[in-house]
Amino acid sequence: MKYAIDARSVTKVYGEGDVAQRVLEGCDVQVPHGEFMMLVGPSGSGKTTLLSILGCVLRATSGEVRLFGEAITGVPENHLSRLRLSYIGFIFQGHNLLASLSAEDNVAVQLQLRGYPTKEARREARALLDRVHLAGKYHRRPAELSGGERQRVAIARAVAGAPPIILADEPTASLDAANGALVTELLRELARERGHTVVCVTHDNRIFSLADRIVRIEDGKILADHRERAA
Amino acid sequence: MNAKARDLDALPAHIARPLPGRAPLKLRWSAMARIAWGMMFHQKLKLFGTLFGVVFATLLANQQIATFLGLMHKNTMYVKAQDAEIWITAPSTQQLPPGQTISEAALMQARAVPGLAWAEPVVVGAGTVSLPAGGREPVTLIGVKLPHRAGGPWNMVAGDGSVIEQPDTLTFEDAEREKLGGLNIGSVREVNGKRVYVGGFTWGLLPFGPSYAFGEYDTVRRLLNLEKDQVSFVLGKLAPGADATAVADELRRRLPDVQVMTRDGFRDTIISYILKQTAIGVTFGTSALFGLIVGFVIVSLSMLSAVVDNLREFGTLKAVGATNWDLSKLLFIQAVTYALMGSVIGLGLVTRVAKGISGAKLSLILPPELLIGSVVVMTVLCVAASSMALMRIRKLEPAMVFR
Repeated sequence: MKYAIDARSVTKVYGEGDVAQRVLEGCDVQVPHGEFMMLVGPSGSGKTTLLSILGCVLRATSGEVRLFGEAITGVPENHLSRLRLSYIGFIFQGHNLLASLSAEDNVAVQLQLRGYPTKEARREARALLDRVHLAGKYHRRPAELSGGERQRVAIARAVAGAPPIILADEPTASLDAANGALVTELLRELARERGHTVVCVTHDNRIFSLADRIVRIEDGKILADHRERAA
Repeated sequence: MNAKARDLDALPAHIARPLPGRAPLKLRWSAMARIAWGMMFHQKLKLFGTLFGVVFATLLANQQIATFLGLMHKNTMYVKAQDAEIWITAPSTQQLPPGQTISEAALMQARAVPGLAWAEPVVVGAGTVSLPAGGREPVTLIGVKLPHRAGGPWNMVAGDGSVIEQPDTLTFEDAEREKLGGLNIGSVREVNGKRVYVGGFTWGLLPFGPSYAFGEYDTVRRLLNLEKDQVSFVLGKLAPGADATAVADELRRRLPDVQVMTRDGFRDTIISYILKQTAIGVTFGTSALFGLIVGFVIVSLSMLSAVVDNLREFGTLKAVGATNWDLSKLLFIQAVTYALMGSVIGLGLVTRVAKGISGAKLSLILPPELLIGSVVVMTVLCVAASSMALMRIRKLEPAMVFR
């Protein structure tokens, strides 16, 4: 088990026959444990599709994906939700927090799904919110937080319970430069502290320097794979 | 130790390990309840819309059923109010007043049956009151005999029980005083062409048909022009320890030419007759069903609309590890909450309405069984109504959160 994520020859085709659209073509991605990898490329290049497949929310048409050595291809749908709980924390482009819940509840619910008893979940949620510099804003709903604060709540939710893999889809897309850098820096710090393996889809070149490694994808194919800085 | 565990052990210490996966059921219920209630109370317009559906269904269905029960009560109250457990009457009798009379011989034979403490005759028939300003109004005349006054008046609001002992005197229904030409105690009226005095008033003894007017046995028999040996009913009181069914069976054996019923049996016969002979059951049943259907549609569409409005949130929940079963729990909790809240509000309103409009002529009856049944029915209705929302959620792919 050399890799946290090991994807080999992953192909994704939407539709059939004449209307078939090949979105990914034989992608190989191996992410070592604890690495902070960025998946970059232009819009429509297939990076989000690849992230969805790695995140067990979309099935590859062919190829094999393993998380911590466990194959996820061919696994039934109800089993995939267990795999997502076991392995993955998600950060979405639009934060995707539950609008009706407070910041604390958004994090605590994820912890409860991961087996934390209610009181412990609340305590841990507050600790995580403190860690992402949101102390005192536990009871604010997403609408009462700024864009950067919402994304920090989303980071707290993603790392809640310490899943080994964090998948982030354009986490800075809706943030200004300063907030984007802050959020990515925070994510990187947390990943280092807690030993998360991170795959971050982005086309924000302002944050490329924070990656251990950058994989470039274009037209559904991996074009380049190089290390930005020492892990 | 298996290979997988060995591999994990071999990882550097700082690397986060895979988590156990799904949490215990109790925690998942707790998490879903938090989200369910959060979503419900966050979208107040939808909350009020859905509650309106439940309240409307509860209110309309209960008001219709309570009115129906009230009408059934009005038509059976005469039987239920009497102390007598055994009712002997003509074979064709299915309601009040009976169409035919029976021989007084039945009374003598009934008195000889073991298990009856006493048996008394009652005469019942149609009467018309001539009004001072002209015209006539119908009443149901009931004549009862001393000393037991079986079949006699109750709910007296003016005059007293002794009025029933006075000849040529009747008690009338208080709510019909104006209708009967402004009756007062001591008023004189012609009933079936004969002069009678008004001796007292009862309250609320109004069945479907004409109101009851009670009088001394011979007075009423004379007003009805009944032959001396004819009676409408023989009412029997059970001796202590006697079984009503066994005594009724014995009476049937000894009196094959008449109809012998227990009090409950006669009540059921009247209800059955009304349901068969009138469309009242269908009318009220349809209205109650209509209320439930409208409630179902409103709740169903509101819950579906809430899910459609929050598709991204449900997709997110699926992506972060919630299963379809978890989200079913979420909808179930919402449905039960809507049902409980809506039922309580609806039942509170219908109780107030019932108190407001109940009177001598109409009573809305809300027995505890109906109130409890309403909550159960509304819960089933709301849970069933959530199925459309659930189907939408089941079809939802978690990958949509990345689009």
